[in-house]
Amino acid sequence: MTTRLIDESLFDGADPPRLVGARCTGCRTVVFPRQDSCPRCSDGAMTAHVLPDSGEIWSWTVQSFRPKEPYRPPAVGHQPYALGYVDLGEILVEARLDIPRRLIRIGLPVRLTTVEAYRDEDGTRILTFAFGSAAEDER
Amino acid sequence: MSRPEEIYVVGCGMHPFGRDESVSGMDMAERAIREALADAGVAWADIGYAAGGSDVSGKPDTLVGRLGLTGVPFVNVQNGCATGASTVLAVANALRAGEASLGLAVGFDKHERGAFHVSAARYGLGDWYAETGMMLTTQFFALKTQRYLHEYAIGERALAMVAARAFRNGSRHPLAWRRKELTEEEILGSAEVSPPLTQYMFCSPGQGAAALVLARGDRAFDLCERPVKLASLAFRTRRFGSFEVFAPWLPPGPHRSPSVDAAEAVFRGAGLRPSDVQVAQLQDTDSGSELIHLAETGLCGHGEQPDLLASGATDPTGRIPVNTDGGCLAGGEPVGASGLRQFHEVVRQLQGRAPGEQVPGGPRVGFTHVYGAPGISACAVLTV
Ligand SMILES: [Zn+2]
Repeated sequence: MTTRLIDESLFDGADPPRLVGARCTGCRTVVFPRQDSCPRCSDGAMTAHVLPDSGEIWSWTVQSFRPKEPYRPPAVGHQPYALGYVDLGEILVEARLDIPRRLIRIGLPVRLTTVEAYRDEDGTRILTFAFGSAAEDER
Repeated sequence: MSRPEEIYVVGCGMHPFGRDESVSGMDMAERAIREALADAGVAWADIGYAAGGSDVSGKPDTLVGRLGLTGVPFVNVQNGCATGASTVLAVANALRAGEASLGLAVGFDKHERGAFHVSAARYGLGDWYAETGMMLTTQFFALKTQRYLHEYAIGERALAMVAARAFRNGSRHPLAWRRKELTEEEILGSAEVSPPLTQYMFCSPGQGAAALVLARGDRAFDLCERPVKLASLAFRTRRFGSFEVFAPWLPPGPHRSPSVDAAEAVFRGAGLRPSDVQVAQLQDTDSGSELIHLAETGLCGHGEQPDLLASGATDPTGRIPVNTDGGCLAGGEPVGASGLRQFHEVVRQLQGRAPGEQVPGGPRVGFTHVYGAPGISACAVLTV
């Protein structure tokens, strides 16, 4: 089955993919997704910056009801899903959490992964980034 | 006595909040304006400057077709949750500058049912953000509340206490939408939206309108028995490092909200402290927001909220009554009208004419606070 990343500009093109943001050459602020100007200072230039692939949960919640369009549910239909902010040190990134709810807690170590967001009309699996538990035996 | 450049509220009017399919946004605005004019004892022709705001229900300046084609300058404002405060700011500044001696501010809206519909492109975000189910305001409130409860070791019951008080106050207020009291257990046990927030901890988009007549100090006391002074008004947008809705990323903390900046500025402008406030309105899009705003505006310290709520201090009879009309939780949130509803309630409380439960003891210092996307806040201090 073919797969595709939901938006190539979010990733570095490697396998497995890493998230790419941008860092300001002036104040060192890291942003995600990449953008051409710094939100903090007006001096710096922004250069592509691969984000750390592990961190810990900073906050979390669950999306219980099915969001309105343009949300695209997975092939099996909408199921409540977890999401949160992951503290990667230099930046906090908002992401889906691929972790059983009973295990989710602030401070839990997590690692970058991908999950299926939805299937395209031709059956292609569209993947988006997510964070899963860093301890494999917890899964 | 008053100085000419001081600004006073000399009249207010409000169309009840809620759902009424028989009226349009403009109908409600017209009713609120006529009520405010009558309250001030003036005619539309006396108004020398006007500002109006609505998010989705039409261009406010077209109201002149209903009220009278007097040629009055009429500014339209669209500033999200700060729309009402922006209209007051525009009118107050015009009066202070001597453009007119009497002005009018109006806000109204009539929203569709259900969560606000948003587009990723409108917020400068890629389609992926909405397609993967991350573009919901309810998630933001849940994520911010979850983190806040963790940082200050606050339990979920505090969220239920906020909502229970809102519905209790709303049940006694003739202009509120939700008029049924709910117990803390019913609130905690209602359908989960996004933990830690449940269905009854969120307000709903609704409809309503509110209007104020403002006057310069040299006119206020002739027009109104008990004019309420706009002691200070401050409006702020976010600075780097704030934690806002629809943020795919955040910088490492601390995260400072524009509410903190607006509150500090408004108290500085009024020459008063948060501890002087005797009746307050706080943005309560959800229980967590009000909980956080209590501390961000300085009305209490971070982490003090559970004790404050449990002691009844934020009830109408308490030390610092909050959202005496039930706030957004009981009133719903017609975005353009919500900020002026706050002014309406605080003005009436300070005049001793509250439509719902009156704060006893003749409060003299009132406070209003709004907060919304994309990181804006406005606060006012009102005094008698
Ligand atoms: Zn910079």
